[in-house]
Amino acid sequence: MSAESERAERLTELRQKFGRKPLAPGEETIPHSPREAQPKFRGLDSGHRACQGCGEALAARLVMESAGPDVMIANATGCLEVFTTPWPQSAWRVPWVHSLFENAAAVASGMEAAMKAQGKNTKVLAFGGDGGTYDIGFQALSGMLERYHNVLYVCYDNEAYMNTGIQRSSSTPHSATTTTSPAGKERMGKRHLKKDLLSIIAAHHIPYAASASVAFPADLQRKVRYAMGIDGPTFLVIHSPCPLGWKHASALTIQVARRAVECGLFPLVEIERGALTNVMPIRDVRPVTDYLSIQGRFSHLMDTEDTRAEEERAHLQALADYNIQVFSLQGDGEDPVDTGGSAAVGRSGHAARRA
Amino acid sequence: MVSMTRGAYAKPGTSLDFKTGNWRSTEMPAHIHAKAPCHAACPAGEDQQAWFAKLQEGHAEAAWAELVRANPLPAITGRVCPHPCEGACNRAALDGALAIHNVERWLGDEAIRNGWDYPVAAPRANAPEVGIVGAGPAGISAAYHCLRHGLRATIYEASPEAGGLLRAAIPQTRLPRAPLDAELSRVLALPGITLNLRTRLGRDVSLEELRHNHPAVLLAPGCQASTAWSVDGAVPADLREGLHMLKDFVDHGALPEAERVVVHGGGNTAMDLCRLLKRSGSKQVTLITASGLPGPDTDPSDEINVVPRELEEALEEGIEIIDHATINRLIMKGSRVTGVEIMSLRKLPGRDGRSHRIGFEGTERVVAVDMVIPCIGERVEPQGLSGLVERGYLRPSDRFGRLNEGELFALGDARGDRGTVAAAIGDGALAASAVARHLAGEADPVVDDRPEMPNAGLNLTYYDHLPRAEAPKLSVEERTFDTEIEGDIGRVAAMAEAERCLSCGNCLACDNCWTFCPDNAVIKTVELALDGSHYLFDLDYCKGCGLCAHECPTGFIQMLPNANGATEGAV
Repeated sequence: MSAESERAERLTELRQKFGRKPLAPGEETIPHSPREAQPKFRGLDSGHRACQGCGEALAARLVMESAGPDVMIANATGCLEVFTTPWPQSAWRVPWVHSLFENAAAVASGMEAAMKAQGKNTKVLAFGGDGGTYDIGFQALSGMLERYHNVLYVCYDNEAYMNTGIQRSSSTPHSATTTTSPAGKERMGKRHLKKDLLSIIAAHHIPYAASASVAFPADLQRKVRYAMGIDGPTFLVIHSPCPLGWKHASALTIQVARRAVECGLFPLVEIERGALTNVMPIRDVRPVTDYLSIQGRFSHLMDTEDTRAEEERAHLQALADYNIQVFSLQGDGEDPVDTGGSAAVGRSGHAARRA
Repeated sequence: MVSMTRGAYAKPGTSLDFKTGNWRSTEMPAHIHAKAPCHAACPAGEDQQAWFAKLQEGHAEAAWAELVRANPLPAITGRVCPHPCEGACNRAALDGALAIHNVERWLGDEAIRNGWDYPVAAPRANAPEVGIVGAGPAGISAAYHCLRHGLRATIYEASPEAGGLLRAAIPQTRLPRAPLDAELSRVLALPGITLNLRTRLGRDVSLEELRHNHPAVLLAPGCQASTAWSVDGAVPADLREGLHMLKDFVDHGALPEAERVVVHGGGNTAMDLCRLLKRSGSKQVTLITASGLPGPDTDPSDEINVVPRELEEALEEGIEIIDHATINRLIMKGSRVTGVEIMSLRKLPGRDGRSHRIGFEGTERVVAVDMVIPCIGERVEPQGLSGLVERGYLRPSDRFGRLNEGELFALGDARGDRGTVAAAIGDGALAASAVARHLAGEADPVVDDRPEMPNAGLNLTYYDHLPRAEAPKLSVEERTFDTEIEGDIGRVAAMAEAERCLSCGNCLACDNCWTFCPDNAVIKTVELALDGSHYLFDLDYCKGCGLCAHECPTGFIQMLPNANGATEGAV
């Protein structure tokens, strides 16, 4: 039996199992549609089971658009793995491997070595959430960077273990409520600070490490393209709001992500060989309360009666001010690539893209 | 090795089999065309957003063609219109309203320079021929719109030249003869329009004849009859009404000489006259108006009805304005006026629910003057219109201007409730559309009752700061009687100004919805979709998160109550 007819038979079997009509001879599985004629490669397609307004699904698709079709992915356990690949379907349009929570970087290392051995140029990407990157897969990631594999590692940072039910991770920001750092009489949410992962990554002296946000897709995609062009280990952390875990309306995902950047709590920086080489300046710096007040995970900080809330708000403001100072985020005058200019659009697209 | 393109598309076993559209619980996105506020505010019915969109694409001629769908006289209105569009512009709150009138004027001038053809076809030889009285802006607009509807038009004009008040009463400093003549002659030369000059209604032709010869008659005679003016019966011997004085000046340059002048009125005629008198050497020119000056404390309906730019220039030139006041008494020496007594007043709601002007006792003061000029408006000259004039005006019974007698319409200033060139042009368009529908045996056109897009419906994050373009302007010393004061902004500034349009309520094709949808449920198309955008919602996969609506800069995407579940591609 040829591979072709074997495939057809398997498809018929699957269609029957899911109650769909068998294909007529010569019928295409999907009719030609505008979806098939999109002007950008959509490596992560519809039908995935992410929640409404998922920042991670958006971030992954934006990365795939710029990384292009000739890539393969090693994906750590996490929301992204679960919602894109419920058997027997896949939302991915590229080769994709999932093994465990802790070893995406190790699997990617092996895939890259195999490509090298076969003389192929297909770029290997490794995807993980903040749990799989900041915590569980951290030593595998460090090893991958140290061994200098040609892999782009993307961390989708939604600041908690969302897949298993919103447990705190080392990426959860200070004083956010999670199921394992609940706000109450004893504590105002998470006691500890968000781990400064980018500095640790930068300490590996890799060619390129950067942070990006779903609120600034053009900036995000520029960083992906830059990293794709580097022969060596590169790292990207993308701030990806989770409406369920952060407790905000699903329509506000972009607004929340934008305010995180505008208040200084999530600085967008680029680090090459351990040195800070670029930042996105903030045009109009917002107070952190603008960011905190639209999320349920910080609602306990909005209690005007509680003096502890005031103290924590001041603490978070100090952390944001610290970032602004350390990374020189305060812009001087309007700049086409600051937070204001990067957002600007015009007829037929993003302003910066047209210029 | 399989080669893959950017659009590479996998088929078997994809998650596309799983229609997440049935997760949508309460709301779904939809494209809603709201009116841009400029469009809603325009008395001529222009859709400024639509022509700015063409300019943003770089097509000046297409922009002009879109503009003249409503207004055939942009070079004229760009100069004389008080531009309520700019007052309504949502960009005002951001970094200044768009310079709409400057760009409109530039487009009009471009069309004259390049001889762009009006987008109207010649009507059939046997097309019905509408009769129009008056070749002012209302009459000319009506004739032009008749052509757009496939009708012919014959205009009857009493004076030897077309133009009405545009020619008779607007000084060259605001509207030079060159663009006026060029634009009027371009419209009047369109095949299908017949212009009969020196033909006065009631003298050379009667209304009965017109109604006999034409299936519909549109009356746009303007207001020619002065109203008698006196204060408690006192009338100065040398009293001259403002509009007549202005007409004399425009016609042969005559202006009276007086040291101290008081002009009483609150319109463009009064303002033009004040500035001319000041320029001709009067030491002290005072405008007394019952309305208020624009400001945070003035109700828009109570504002002085002049072009804002003109007001600003008048103040620069040293015209004194006393607002919320009236002339209470003339102080006479024999039959000559030597002073006026002024009293403050306000427009206040009365017991009958209507507003009344209430004078305040104790606020009287006397100003010494040599001349008083009333500019208090004119009425319809009743010659040839017997039985139709009611309390000074032709008062129509509906928005199309229909008088209560068959296909007879009243347009422009003669209606008494108008007062701008733009409103006259809008009247022409409305009446022509109603006539065309009537002659085709159809009901009146439907009212466009789409809601207006308020500032709060926009997402202003996505608009960068762009300062408003300023047109060149003559300084006070350089101003004469015949040089235009405001200059041309030019192509570069006009195109830059177009970039500032927020596109309120209409698709900007910015890609935000397509970029931000986490479910790829927004599909971009090369072809323009039926709703005028380049995007489709694939409700098979849309989970209803509302991100696209929230991040739509223009408010074109709104969330509506849900049509439940996957729809197999149908919206």
